[in-house]
Amino acid sequence: MTSTLPAVTTSTVPAQRQPVPEVRSTSRTTPSQRLRSSRPDLLLCGTLLVAILVVQAWNIADYPTLSDDEGTYLAQAWAVQQGRGLAHYTYWYDHPPLGWIQIAVLTWIPSWLSPGSMTVGSMRVVMLLISAVSAVLVYVLGRRLSLPRWAAGLAMALFGLSPLSVVLQREIFLDNLAVMWTLVAFTLAASPSRHLWHHFGAGLAAATAVLTKETMLVVLPALFVTMWRHSHRDTRKFAVTGAVTACALIGFSYPLFALLKGELLPGGGHVSLWDGIKYQMTRPGSGFVLDQSSGSHGVLHSWLYYDRVLPLGGLAGALLLIATWRWSVTARALAGPALTVAILTALALRPNGYLPAMYVIQALPFLALVLAAGTASVAHGVLRRWRRPDERKWMTYGRYSLAAVLALAAGAYVVPKWYDGDHTAVTADANAPYRAASKWLTSEVADPKDTRVLVDDALWLDLVHDGYRPGLGAIWFYKADLDPAVTKTMPNGWKDIDYVVASPTVRRDAVDLPNVKAAIEHSTPVATFGTGPDRIEIRHVQTTGTADGGLR
Amino acid sequence: MGIWGDLLLTSVFIAAVSLALFWMAAFTLWWQMHAWRTPEVLASTRFSRPDGNEHVSFSLLLPARHEQAVLDHTIQRLLESTHTDFEIIVIVGHDDPETTAVAEAAAGRDPRVRVVVDTHEKKNKPKAMNTALPHCRGDVVGVFDAEDQVHPELLAHVDHAFRTTGADVVQGGVQLINFHSSWYSLRNCLEYFFWFRSRLHLHAQKGFIPLGGNTVFVRTDVLREADGWDPNCLAEDCDLGVRLSSVGKKVVVAYDSDMVTREETPGSLMSLLKQRTRWNQGFLQVYRKRDWKQLPGFGQRLLARYTLMTPFLQAFSGVIIPLNAAVALFLDVPVGIAFLTFLPLVTAAVTFVFEVVGLHDFGKQYGLRVRLVHYLKLVVGGPFYQVLLAGAAIRAVWREQRGRNDWELTSHVGAHLHDTAVIREDVPA
Repeated sequence: MTSTLPAVTTSTVPAQRQPVPEVRSTSRTTPSQRLRSSRPDLLLCGTLLVAILVVQAWNIADYPTLSDDEGTYLAQAWAVQQGRGLAHYTYWYDHPPLGWIQIAVLTWIPSWLSPGSMTVGSMRVVMLLISAVSAVLVYVLGRRLSLPRWAAGLAMALFGLSPLSVVLQREIFLDNLAVMWTLVAFTLAASPSRHLWHHFGAGLAAATAVLTKETMLVVLPALFVTMWRHSHRDTRKFAVTGAVTACALIGFSYPLFALLKGELLPGGGHVSLWDGIKYQMTRPGSGFVLDQSSGSHGVLHSWLYYDRVLPLGGLAGALLLIATWRWSVTARALAGPALTVAILTALALRPNGYLPAMYVIQALPFLALVLAAGTASVAHGVLRRWRRPDERKWMTYGRYSLAAVLALAAGAYVVPKWYDGDHTAVTADANAPYRAASKWLTSEVADPKDTRVLVDDALWLDLVHDGYRPGLGAIWFYKADLDPAVTKTMPNGWKDIDYVVASPTVRRDAVDLPNVKAAIEHSTPVATFGTGPDRIEIRHVQTTGTADGGLR
Repeated sequence: MGIWGDLLLTSVFIAAVSLALFWMAAFTLWWQMHAWRTPEVLASTRFSRPDGNEHVSFSLLLPARHEQAVLDHTIQRLLESTHTDFEIIVIVGHDDPETTAVAEAAAGRDPRVRVVVDTHEKKNKPKAMNTALPHCRGDVVGVFDAEDQVHPELLAHVDHAFRTTGADVVQGGVQLINFHSSWYSLRNCLEYFFWFRSRLHLHAQKGFIPLGGNTVFVRTDVLREADGWDPNCLAEDCDLGVRLSSVGKKVVVAYDSDMVTREETPGSLMSLLKQRTRWNQGFLQVYRKRDWKQLPGFGQRLLARYTLMTPFLQAFSGVIIPLNAAVALFLDVPVGIAFLTFLPLVTAAVTFVFEVVGLHDFGKQYGLRVRLVHYLKLVVGGPFYQVLLAGAAIRAVWREQRGRNDWELTSHVGAHLHDTAVIREDVPA
């Protein structure tokens, strides 16, 4: 038998195992060494997980409305599965491909069992797995950041049950996957064992998050802060450099990939990573978020429509934590999430930044954590602050009554609103027009194989399964104007198109797309599903009766 | 088949080589970073503070050959030890009157110093120490080299370690210090740093350990039971460790930056090459002696196999890694395969970064000023050092094949004091 020497116990080697070696009041539960074997933690986390899964799964295919982006990523995942490369049209470095490669892996088995299920509505199911992992990670991270059990549970509930979360996390967005990896990174960075390879793993997970959705890049400083705080003085330099190296090396695989394909820099006749980045960096801004008339304001409004508690409460929680940094242990422990919220808020407040609707997704877990931590801080203030051992009984009762009143008031405010929001989410059917349109195109078009349809990304896979030729038969509508590989098959422009499925997205974007616009103008609706601005029209292109018509 | 068949074959081959290299480098890195895994592991690698009791008596072996210049200083420093119960046995050759005179003079001044004369016709370090072993009176035999700077409190710490852990063997730290001397001494110092600071502790924990050549302490009865050192092995220190740990003796390793035995790197690139050749050949001999096969655990035997073959794997990978990457870049292999070839390079890069951080830590631990140029030397010198290691490995195999297992003494390059010192730096790295 051999072994190393037992640990030294002198003052020079403070090797405690607590993640945050600060003095805490006795009443707060310290996170157990092994969360896995702590029964109350497992029970709480498990119960919440079931609740979150039920709410998110119920009616997942029918609400919210199928989004164009979901269709894009799922179609590209389909292309990966089919061995058609990274996309069925030319991959042009719009995003790093790791996100939909993961979606391809996730949907592999269901689509293998039933190829027809590879459509946006039915494949939303796989997002439940992501939501579940993320929700559990929020709980674990909360515990690792020294939140009491109830506050970690609160964070998990806020993250998984807010109507805003329910709507966004159901959708097949790369951001949801990236959030999961970011949470993995934070959880590893806050590992209570402060293990070198846990921190290294945090770096790997962070790189994966960035390669899933590049916007996660801005969260890295907050991750760094978390890691710094949770590493030990004696091993920090190895842990932190290891993590940074891991992150950088994995991150460099993307430019390396472009280099190996000869597409790093712009050149004649091929796409390039450089152009892709340039496109993303120069996207037209959507205005100042607080300017009532701007597009950004509209996006903000759409978030607040679903839920005010999580975004605004989280923001308030972050402000509270930053303001009480000097005095509050919780505030210092939550430095990482608070900084994340601060960074994301600052970026959203750029005077003319581009603010997509998914932007808030990456903030959701951190908003939930800081809101829960803020609540824990307030609870601590009410129940414990300036409390002496010989405090009079009525004073103690007063503290508890105040806490109860506050909790009840918060519940009375939040629960009805969330009930309404989540009730809509589990009952509303927003996608009936899409399903009807898909059905019509299957049953009413005689010869799908030789029919060319302009369709938005969300419905594209449905048509592919119905026998339309992927790419040039079923055409992502904007490719008819923007992709040379498609336009060159349309020498007669709009006349080479048979149908346009005019969904709200298509009608909105057609303004800037001449071919699509012309096809819409020269077509008549043969079937209409739904009413008002959300309606979907199937329009048949009329080539007869025009000067050079009659060819088709 | 044709071109496609060839391409497929090339791809599979490249992928297999890349993955093998990746796992090799990854495991080596994993072990190299052992001490810094968690703060607790790091804390456990140090000596625990002595409690003031002293119950173990020491016999300190000090083999000296043509070392009249440094010997007296080393003896004086050893005599300054705070421990109260030890003897120093200086082992000199019968053909070396100058060193003998210095040793005899020291013995005349202090009764704790004794002199043993080695009369072997062909001399080497294990023979010298075996000659002295019957004369040892202490409970524990310790080994030092004639030019070692030993910390006065080391014995007290080792005494405490023996008593509190029930160890049969205690290995203290040895550290090359003169990192600023040359580009290779920088890398050499760092090798020692990672080996004694980190990797050896992993070996102790796993129950398979190649010991170092000095600052090593063994219970006298255990050592006699094992028949001392193998006089025919070029890495007798490594061999002793392997034999003792293979029969289940408890080995404890402790590293404290102020308690290490300080040494200097070989004086020239050639002597470094020779030293390394000897270690590699010694490792090869230990591997072929098969004592490690008695290790009970499969994992232990695997670790033994891997560790003893490390010099050769290192040589192999040093040549293959760049070649592999070049193949990936210039041959038209699929992007996925090309990616795989970069895996070993990734681990190499991680290793480089950790070496840079290690150099920084080394400077901090020893209060030495590490400048930017040293970091640059470390990185730039890396590939060249790899070439040196590869050369030494190939040389070792060649010498072993030819049956040349003499102690490559200094007569080839003209008897030179420094070189004689060099061949006794017996620390595998």
